[in-house]
Amino acid sequence: MRPVSGFDLVVPETAEEAIAALQTLGPGEAAPLAGGTDLLLDVDEGRLTPRRIVSLRRLPWRTLDWNGDSLTVGSTLPLRSLEDDPQVRVKYPGLYEAVRNVGSVALRHRATLGGNLVRAAPASDLIPILLALDAEVDLVGPQGDRTVPVDRFVLASRRTDLRPGELVRSVRFPEPRPSDFLWQRVRPANDISQVVVAVAFSPSGRRWRVAVGGVSPRPTLLTEAAEALGNGRPNAAAVRRAAESASARAPFVTDRRASEEYRRRLVGTLLERTVARVAGAKVFPA
Amino acid sequence: MTPRPLRLNVNGTAEEIPDVPGPERLLDTLRWRLKLKGTKEGCRTGDCGACTVLVDGRSCLSCLTLAHEVDGSTVTTIEVGAEEVLVARVRAAFDTAGALQCGYCTPGFVMAVAGLLGERGTAAPREELLEGLGGNLCRCTGYAAIVRAVDLLRTEVP
Repeated sequence: MRPVSGFDLVVPETAEEAIAALQTLGPGEAAPLAGGTDLLLDVDEGRLTPRRIVSLRRLPWRTLDWNGDSLTVGSTLPLRSLEDDPQVRVKYPGLYEAVRNVGSVALRHRATLGGNLVRAAPASDLIPILLALDAEVDLVGPQGDRTVPVDRFVLASRRTDLRPGELVRSVRFPEPRPSDFLWQRVRPANDISQVVVAVAFSPSGRRWRVAVGGVSPRPTLLTEAAEALGNGRPNAAAVRRAAESASARAPFVTDRRASEEYRRRLVGTLLERTVARVAGAKVFPA
Repeated sequence: MTPRPLRLNVNGTAEEIPDVPGPERLLDTLRWRLKLKGTKEGCRTGDCGACTVLVDGRSCLSCLTLAHEVDGSTVTTIEVGAEEVLVARVRAAFDTAGALQCGYCTPGFVMAVAGLLGERGTAAPREELLEGLGGNLCRCTGYAAIVRAVDLLRTEVP
């Protein structure tokens, strides 16, 4: 038998019990568990040493709700269930593409949107599309409920605005948007992305949203590139300007997965391709 | 807090397993407590798929799953009998296609294929079935025969 790291697993029945179980210990001593596919790796490798892990499995958050066209995804819904919803594919195509490209099928049976967000990995395949879709995070905690846009929730690599005892209950997507997502990886299947580009067009605001991930510690919205795309279907020159802006302005780092220069070139190319896919979509407003 | 006894239905048998620590992985419960050594440990980081089992019919990386997180579930492993028709058919197809070399990845592949066919059906597009195996690695690189096994299981859409 493998030695296992020492933590107590608690399985609360209600959000209040879960919050209390997290709050009574100091920072870093207690961690919430959704799918666990990322958290348990850090525990195994000693990067995290919680004394208590609080399972969210009994909380009623494995949900997918439509309010008109607005989508609310419960934080513990397995990604595979999100990918399998036929309406998600039509109304939030970029979200569908991003989700179905996370890990493997078996991983997506356990991994969750809430977990991906809270773990805030630099190369998260999901945070860029959440940014491009202006998703909002619904939180519950000792001081009550609050809602924070994803752009303000993700602070840095592995750091979020989550306060002691707080939990992500759901993620909300306000409006369907023509959107798409592309990645570059060393190995296409079940690998961590070197570059992620997510693009969406907001029909209500007639503006583009462009986000990149994997290139720097924090997934980032690129406002200048988005503005370069204009207020509708962009022409080739506008797409070129947006790609150049992204290559020039996005933050890039060199790490073991790719060099800064490689990422810089790739972001421009992937941005052009992603915009072309979105602008060519049938749902795109004329 | 000491967790309650773990209750699982494993390959048709109801199991009540006492004293399973909270951090224990489903993989270790299966291999070391229930002595079901067919499920393999590969990378233990969710990259290779060797430890794939079915939990309530869906593929699951047993190395990244706490045993208590699937308390009350039905677990199916490579040892399951012929009464589990889909798994039996996948095993037979791997046999016919000669879809193994050293065999270490085979249980994980068989369970992943059975899980996919259970979810998507045998008439699912070929590309989707093959893409769905992206989480399983064969270090012998014996993929061509594994793809032949999948093709034996596929039914053409008229």
